[in-house]
Amino acid sequence: METLFALLIGLLIGTGVFLLLSRVIVRVVLGLSFITYGGNLAILTVAGLREDAPPLLTLRGPYVDPLPQALILTAIVIGFATTALLLTVALRAYQVAGHDDVEAFGDSLARDPEAEDGLIADPEHQGPDRPDPEEPRTLVYSARPPGGDPS
Amino acid sequence: MSGLAWLTLAPILTPLGFGLGLLWPWSRPVRVGLSLAGVFLTLAFSLGLLAATADGTVLVGALGGWPAPFGIVMTADRLAAWVSVLGAVSAVLAVWQAAADPDPVREKHHLLALMQFLFAGVQMSFLTGDLFNLFVAFEVMLVASYALAVLGSTREQLREGFRYIVMNLAASALLVVACGLAYGVLGTLNFAHLARRSAELGPNPTVTAVGVLLLVVFAAKGALFPLGFWLPGTYPALPPAVGTFFAAVLTKVGVYALLRVFTTVFSQEAAVTNTLLLLLGTVTMLYGALGAASQREWRRILSFLVVSSVGYLAFGLGVGTEEALRASVGYFAVSVLVTTALFSIAGVAERASGSRLVRVRGMLDFLPLLAGCFLLCALTVAGLPPSGGFVAKYALVRAGLAQGSPLALVAVFSALLSSLITLYAMLNVWRGFFWGQHPNWLPVYRVPRALHAAAYAACALVAGLSLFAGPLFARADATAAELRDNARYIRGVLGDGPVVIPPAPTGEEDGP
Repeated sequence: METLFALLIGLLIGTGVFLLLSRVIVRVVLGLSFITYGGNLAILTVAGLREDAPPLLTLRGPYVDPLPQALILTAIVIGFATTALLLTVALRAYQVAGHDDVEAFGDSLARDPEAEDGLIADPEHQGPDRPDPEEPRTLVYSARPPGGDPS
Repeated sequence: MSGLAWLTLAPILTPLGFGLGLLWPWSRPVRVGLSLAGVFLTLAFSLGLLAATADGTVLVGALGGWPAPFGIVMTADRLAAWVSVLGAVSAVLAVWQAAADPDPVREKHHLLALMQFLFAGVQMSFLTGDLFNLFVAFEVMLVASYALAVLGSTREQLREGFRYIVMNLAASALLVVACGLAYGVLGTLNFAHLARRSAELGPNPTVTAVGVLLLVVFAAKGALFPLGFWLPGTYPALPPAVGTFFAAVLTKVGVYALLRVFTTVFSQEAAVTNTLLLLLGTVTMLYGALGAASQREWRRILSFLVVSSVGYLAFGLGVGTEEALRASVGYFAVSVLVTTALFSIAGVAERASGSRLVRVRGMLDFLPLLAGCFLLCALTVAGLPPSGGFVAKYALVRAGLAQGSPLALVAVFSALLSSLITLYAMLNVWRGFFWGQHPNWLPVYRVPRALHAAAYAACALVAGLSLFAGPLFARADATAAELRDNARYIRGVLGDGPVVIPPAPTGEEDGP
């Protein structure tokens, strides 16, 4: 059964990586879910597979080790939360950028963030590209400091 | 368990509690007051930990009263207490900056509460004594950091934040797999018990493979060379106060995990992992320094310097002698404090010139004190005397030369070269921003006094590094000795006797 599980985990993680390399945001999110579940199955397999053995000590034995099950439970909860968060970010990114394509964000470090292509998917929910409302900034000097060349 | 064991939990629960309290819509002064109270209290508890572990005690807080290998334990030895204090200091300065620089939009969406959750996650990663709990701590820290990274949802933040989140989620999935494999091979997840079991097994390829897998995960979190591509884009996109803490501490969490895992836990086949770390460190130092020299914006330059500093730490860890570990522990402090200071300075500079670009010229006339602070930090980060950075880098280079393997010599060369390039990059900033004649058509803005004060306070700490280098390195000495010989840590957590696994219940005792 270990072989079957190993193949299954490989398939899950392979699919996940394939989706992760896609340019569509939602596919990236789905790919990460696949990888997470591959990881969870890996814990289950590594800790030893047994048929018909509960992890609960109040039932009659034989038992399977309960710790991996607890680990997987924790990992599932955390994975669920992070996936939800990532989906929210993906939605927000789609609203602001107007594409569900990762390339729409550009990739260059030197890219000017002010240079917009003017595409907004949802005009009602566009992002505040300047989150700080322009507070009245005080100018110290608008001209040269004292002692400078007066010309 | 000693009477001070609660101290291992206090730095985690304090920011958590204050974070929950901050979710209530208080008025701004109350929120700022609560945030500051939270970080100062955390700092006080961390200092308490530092004092309690100064004589080599290992504090163990067993959650739910379950003894070490069976339950989750929080442990604090010298190293953990040390990094916990550094994290708390950086947190104080970050909150100070956030308090001095009101940001109504982000604060409405719980900027201050999220920062407290981030601090809780960071402290928990430093103080945990359990591999799976380390994963949970990473997630607590990262979920808060994801939210902070995209809070405000500017286009740049979303672009970089999405990349950051995806990268870290993939690394986390790998960490879960590594935890599972470690449990499968060694049958435990507690650091001390893992160390004892791997020592019993002796050099073992499977254990080493798990170690290398963990190395990949922590290298991704700590932004070592091929896996650190996300960092220089993400950090400049953040609001300044948050960016300060991210840059100073978040990568260091990965480095701390590397230190912990490869000195305390998997120390049986150190040659393999040390070679890898040395290689990655060599490349990362140069990559960071060259990157810094190539950029034109304040915080992009500084972000690459963060990458470079991680490279130095990996170099120290990879050399692996006691001297090198001592230098690494010392450099850890230098790096956290100087990064905090530089990012605070960058915050003030960006506000004063109204531009992210370095090339403004002539700001020396308006910000003379800031210029002095910047020069001090530049010397520290490049590693020139009389700064504390010189002492740490000198120790690193000496340790590398003393070890003397060809790879270590290449790494030493790379360290010296990247220091030189870093100096060039910093002088470029100096020349571009402070030097010369200010063009009179460019405006100069007034910066809130408290924001200035935060930068000066951070610089005072950097100056303190050079003044108190003696006691600092004395402590680093003791820490390195403890890391070199993990017996004390193991005994502190597991006690003297062998771990007795209770017999498996047969299901007969309870009766029907």
